[in-house]
Amino acid sequence: MKLPSRLAALLAAAAVITACAPQTSSNSSSDKDEKTGTLRVWLFQEVGNKPKEKVVDSVVTAFEKDHEGTKVDIEYIPIETRAQRVKAAFNDPKSAPDVMEYGNTDTAGYVKDGGLLDVTKEFGAWSETKDTDPTARQSVTVDGKIYGAPFYVGVRALYYRTDVFEELGLEVPKTMDELAATARKIRAAEPELYGLVVGGAYTYGAMPFVWANGGEIAEGKGGSYASAIDSAAAQKGIKAYTSLFSDDNCPAAKCAGMGGNDTVTAFAAGKAGMAIGGDFSHTAVEAGKVKGKYAVVPLPGVRAGSVAPAFAGGNNIGVLKSTSHRTLAVELMEQLTSKKTQASMFEAMGFLPTFSDVRQQVAAKEPYVEPFAQTLSAGTKFVPASPAWAQIDSSLVLPTMFQEVISGKKDVAAASADAAKKMNDAFASMG
Amino acid sequence: MSPRTKPSWTPWLYLAPALVVLGGLLAYPIYQLGLISFFQYTQAQVSGGEPTSFQGLGNYAELFGDDQFWQVLGATVVFAAACVVSTLAVGCALAVLLTRVRAVPRLALMLAALGAWATPAITGSTVWLFLFDPDFGPVNRVLGLGDHSWTYGRFSAFFLVLLEVVWCSFPFVMVTVYAGIRAVPAEVLEAAELDGASQWRVWRSVLAPMLRPILVVVTIQSVIWDFKVFTQIYVMTNGGGIAGQNLVLNVYAYQKAFASSQYSLGSAIGVVMLLILLAVTLGYLRLLRRQGEEL
Amino acid sequence: MRFVRSVTSLSFVRRPWRLLAETSALLIAVVVAFPLYWMVLSAFKPAGEIESSEPRPWTLAPSLDSFRRVFEQNEFGRYFLNSLVVACTVVIVSALIAFLAATAVTRFRFRLRTTLLIMFLVAQMVPVEALTIPLFFLMRDFGQLNTLGSLILPHIAFSLPFAIWMLRGFVKAVPEALEEAAYIDGASRSRFLWQILFPLVFPGLVATSVFSFISAWNDFLFAKSFIISDTSQSTLPMALLVFYKPDEPDWGGVMAASTVMTIPVLVFFVLVQRRLVSGLGGAVKD
Repeated sequence: MKLPSRLAALLAAAAVITACAPQTSSNSSSDKDEKTGTLRVWLFQEVGNKPKEKVVDSVVTAFEKDHEGTKVDIEYIPIETRAQRVKAAFNDPKSAPDVMEYGNTDTAGYVKDGGLLDVTKEFGAWSETKDTDPTARQSVTVDGKIYGAPFYVGVRALYYRTDVFEELGLEVPKTMDELAATARKIRAAEPELYGLVVGGAYTYGAMPFVWANGGEIAEGKGGSYASAIDSAAAQKGIKAYTSLFSDDNCPAAKCAGMGGNDTVTAFAAGKAGMAIGGDFSHTAVEAGKVKGKYAVVPLPGVRAGSVAPAFAGGNNIGVLKSTSHRTLAVELMEQLTSKKTQASMFEAMGFLPTFSDVRQQVAAKEPYVEPFAQTLSAGTKFVPASPAWAQIDSSLVLPTMFQEVISGKKDVAAASADAAKKMNDAFASMG
Repeated sequence: MSPRTKPSWTPWLYLAPALVVLGGLLAYPIYQLGLISFFQYTQAQVSGGEPTSFQGLGNYAELFGDDQFWQVLGATVVFAAACVVSTLAVGCALAVLLTRVRAVPRLALMLAALGAWATPAITGSTVWLFLFDPDFGPVNRVLGLGDHSWTYGRFSAFFLVLLEVVWCSFPFVMVTVYAGIRAVPAEVLEAAELDGASQWRVWRSVLAPMLRPILVVVTIQSVIWDFKVFTQIYVMTNGGGIAGQNLVLNVYAYQKAFASSQYSLGSAIGVVMLLILLAVTLGYLRLLRRQGEEL
Repeated sequence: MRFVRSVTSLSFVRRPWRLLAETSALLIAVVVAFPLYWMVLSAFKPAGEIESSEPRPWTLAPSLDSFRRVFEQNEFGRYFLNSLVVACTVVIVSALIAFLAATAVTRFRFRLRTTLLIMFLVAQMVPVEALTIPLFFLMRDFGQLNTLGSLILPHIAFSLPFAIWMLRGFVKAVPEALEEAAYIDGASRSRFLWQILFPLVFPGLVATSVFSFISAWNDFLFAKSFIISDTSQSTLPMALLVFYKPDEPDWGGVMAASTVMTIPVLVFFVLVQRRLVSGLGGAVKD
């Protein structure tokens, strides 16, 4: 054949020119520190974002007044696709924002990617931080250095419909088994409602089931991690969670694809008897149809009276290494996470403050904080503090595992073994 | 008529802009793609300042050792084949239909088809998703399916995407084939009619052979387009479906590269796709050669 | 069942068959147009009606609320304009470049001609999405990230191979004799190219431009990947995705934005409809 040979010759010619390696960007910190200009800020788009915008706007207005010649440009980015956006920003420092909000599970990964600015000095010099609670401080710390300021802490608890419970004469569940039984009773009596609305892609709603059964995502030994998601205890938890995806509670066809926000939205719209929602979901639920018809309790554990360990979530605000307005950006970060801002953010969005004293003050004023505070004090869990976690999270290892079990593609043992393998690969490649 | 030979620099002058653009924005990125697929290239290398290291065929070995890759590859081939066959069948049938009707119905069908063709993939995808929405869509009401979810099952999700793909790509086939049939001289068909051939026979032994070059063009274009389907899968199955059941190669590569920042694996998948399509092209060229056609 | 005497004249089709064919043509037209109808309808439905479990194929209280939400979204007009700029630039530039290249490969014989043609065909095979990674770095090095240029440049490149491939037929169809006559009349080569060949090939250019227009107008992957933080450079598909939140899609907003996004392409199609049909015929006739 004449054609292929000609092509092959061309390809060979192309292959000869293999001199250079693929491109990289040295994401070194910018040495500029301009005192005027535009600061770009990325914050997360929440369910019912308006109140958040209001608080942020007032901070920004004050900041712009204090610093003549500076403009602050806020953009709210969707949480689901944040990984791509943030990576693109790291890859092109020129178009990166100066300040951004990020989930505390991403801290280690972003630091490893070389994206976040080390603010240890400024953080230490900032008087308010002596009240920062230790869990929150831990969530911005990598190898003893601090890479941002905690914005709020988030824990999840059990939301339930008081009117539905009253009408059906149900008791608030005290154990995880009771929880499942109660959920099925609700669905049986009210086929229009999900009993307990759950989501196949709702990792942090699912993990308490694993933790309550004694399972772990991974076990760390001296900074290196090994997945434990396929241990017997963890499998028991996975089974407990995935068994909730059935026609007598939350049909797999509807619920397998849901994420955390979907379940909260469903509950707020009055489509579910119970939901696992965070303190940060409070505003969205209040704004929904179920206002005044629900209450919150800590998610019950395996034994009566125990609380299922919750994921100590929350977000931080950090400065990007590539900023050319270092002083201004750090100052804006402090303004956005100050005690004052956190107090108003709590009122606006229900975000739990990261300062112990502020949290006590607001808890005294707002009784709904109580179950979340209880959950926090009962002990929380965190994802592996490894840079690999960002990759495990964004490649959807755990949601895929749950969805495989829910849709019957694999049994619990096989799905969890596959997930463990993927996690171990990630740990191995990223240390 | 064969083009005359003219001073040899003129064609290159005319080709220069195209070659510059294609060289810089297509050939060079492809070269980079191939390069990346041989290196370790994750976020830490891209922006963290860590050195890249040459992996040889390591990335390919990892890819080929992954069951999911083979599953996705299989799904892609079957799905693309189903799309191509359905699109061609619908397009050709409607093109023939167009020649049998008067101006008004012809214009109606033509306009409807142009509308479907004009619809951007992303809006087409969202509209079809909405039509089949379990809660608010009209399709489930009409079919009496209650709140059946079309995107939950692997096959029903693929089927839904297939419907959308056929809907937005049959017009190209229909319009092209229709234009081709119109160009067939009437005498040829008259002769066939005088011989008493049935419609099917006329299509088989007169029209199809005459339309053959056109059919080959639309087939090859459909193969190229359907093998590379991205937007529809990405939007309609929310990035690949429950537990990644609706992934096709293109989306899989994108997820590997951009969601999990395994840029080198994503690139390796891209290279594999490229090679598969290249094989298809070579097959097509051979076909052309065998027919003695000139490029 | 006997075949028609001629495909283009219908006088001999038997009546019942023709009626059947016409009825099915109309029915199919309705089915094909239905998604578009539903899109426009939903865009005009008031909020309560869209998310109703008993959807009706009409609305008695059309409302512009959804459109209002779309246009109130910051700088929607800007996004629209950006999309238009990108698509039009791509169409014009790629048409001109493709015209020159198609002329070169059809009206000249030179070494490597066949190889080039094969390369143009192969270039169409390239999965654009896979090139997002290297293109990202290329655009960064050109300093084009966050600008419309980062969308225009790759789309020109990706629409060229198909455009050249399609235009070949049109250029070939122009008789050689015409060219010779022009030269005998003393026309220069560039005069022949732009004043004689170009107008003759124009219908083909229109047919080809449909494809480049669509691909540039539809693009959301590049916009998503290259327009990182400068929202003023965003394009329509990005604005559409704002309404399509997976947890709680604003269907009214999505449908209204989709309608707005589809209209320019529809207008473009209706304008070029005739040329498109004859153009596609011409492209494949050779």
